[in-house]
Amino acid sequence: MTDTAYGAPAGDTPARRGLAEIVARPLQWLLKLLPGIALLLFWQWASGRLIKEIYVSKPTAVAERLYELFASGEIYPHLWTTGQELVFGYVIGVAGGVIGGYALGRSPRLSRIFEPYVMAFYGIPKIALAPLFIIWFGIGMGSKIALAAIMVFFLVFYNVFAGVRSVDRELVNLTLIMGANQRQLTWHVFLPAAAPYVMLGMRLAIPYSVIGVIVGEFTSSAQGLGLFIHEASSTYDPAGVFAGIVILLAFVTIANILAGRLERRLLRWRALSGAGPADI
Amino acid sequence: MNDRALVFDGIGQDFPSPGQRNKVRVLDGISFDVDRGKFVAVIGPSGCGKSTLLQMAAGLLMPTRGAVRHRGRKIGSINTEVGFVPQQAQLFPWKTLAENIELPLLLRGVAADERRERVAGALNSVGLKGFEQHYPSQLSGGMQKRGSIARTLVYRPDIILMDEPFGALDAQTRMVMQSDLQTLSMEAGATVIFVTHDITEAVLLADHVVVLSQRPSRLLANIPIDLPRPRNMFEPFRNSGFEAAYDAVWTEFRSQLDTGRVH
Repeated sequence: MTDTAYGAPAGDTPARRGLAEIVARPLQWLLKLLPGIALLLFWQWASGRLIKEIYVSKPTAVAERLYELFASGEIYPHLWTTGQELVFGYVIGVAGGVIGGYALGRSPRLSRIFEPYVMAFYGIPKIALAPLFIIWFGIGMGSKIALAAIMVFFLVFYNVFAGVRSVDRELVNLTLIMGANQRQLTWHVFLPAAAPYVMLGMRLAIPYSVIGVIVGEFTSSAQGLGLFIHEASSTYDPAGVFAGIVILLAFVTIANILAGRLERRLLRWRALSGAGPADI
Repeated sequence: MNDRALVFDGIGQDFPSPGQRNKVRVLDGISFDVDRGKFVAVIGPSGCGKSTLLQMAAGLLMPTRGAVRHRGRKIGSINTEVGFVPQQAQLFPWKTLAENIELPLLLRGVAADERRERVAGALNSVGLKGFEQHYPSQLSGGMQKRGSIARTLVYRPDIILMDEPFGALDAQTRMVMQSDLQTLSMEAGATVIFVTHDITEAVLLADHVVVLSQRPSRLLANIPIDLPRPRNMFEPFRNSGFEAAYDAVWTEFRSQLDTGRVH
């Protein structure tokens, strides 16, 4: 076959870009951190000057409070409870969303029957269900897991459903002509094609699982970060409230980093398409 | 001995048209044969249902009237004995080039050793050696098209169906691809049905050119092209007899190109 001039394989990085990159990385991090540091400094300065400290606390007090909480071990039972609720709620919601979204996405008949129902349930403000869930599942972890799971479920469900439905019909036909059976079609075409949507749904769902768990704990609970924050705020302890929020922020950040890792691994083919790596 | 690979026998096809009760008749009584090892080009104005014929041969669509027979067997479901090269390359973006080409063999249960060997052979024959680990998004349009052709050749289908495969390529790449396709199909002795709207392309590549009319489409002519092979794809006019062959096709085709009608 004729050898044509399509150019060398891509991926060779010129050496002179190396130095610029070495400098650019820390610089970018610095720029990223700058607004956060500015905000903290302003908070520290304004507290007691512009606003009474009893309303907003201050960063040093929050840090001190965090240290106390961990040093005394007071926070660990709350952490453990909320952590479990988050993980179970998230995993159950994602699993249900992926399975349901995939089944309805693949079967036009099922989706014709069930889509209106799912749509209607999607419209319910799930927060309003919290008191009901407490009655159904008790004030223990069950009600919080259920609330988080149902919030996560709908987000993941819709993304997976859309992802499976967006698969190019021609690509499916080609694969059938190549000799694929239904199982092979699922494995080689539908799942990889839906993977970006699954990942998107999973990332969007992280903060929602936190909202579900915290709202559940606010409503009624015996243990958990939500209860801790609730108690702190009702006893005029802003440092305690902010300490709880900082811990929740850490949860979300860690989960986001893990999801980003997973995404980069699963969607390697997308990162290479020239659009640049997706950052969290 | 019967060396007919594929027979289109009185094909008629109606499609429901949006907002109307009457169906649109797209194909109207089309019959022609494709002999084994022959290259048949199907040419016609846009919207005339050329691609529909290929979908029927692949078993993706059942004709409203008539039947398509592959080696005497009426096609009633997905036909896995054909290979399909679509307009867009349609490589799997989540698989590397080598994985893409390996897929049909994997689906057909070919052993790992043989898979590796045949993938290497197919990549070599389309000139993509060294790009095994590239994802489709890292390849140019022409290279993706080569990959798509390799993915079809690798499982040695009985008939190769090509749906305007070079339509989206730039003029230079297209000439090179046409030349390479001629070489490949001659070497493999492949049976090819090639849909196009380019008369030059049809005349240069084909043993027979089937000319279809505007909708509802009828078969206007089935013209044998007896130019000696290999043909010069880069300078069409240098092939002796090209002008006469082009003229024969053009005479049939021009009647379908009245301006002002919506195609």
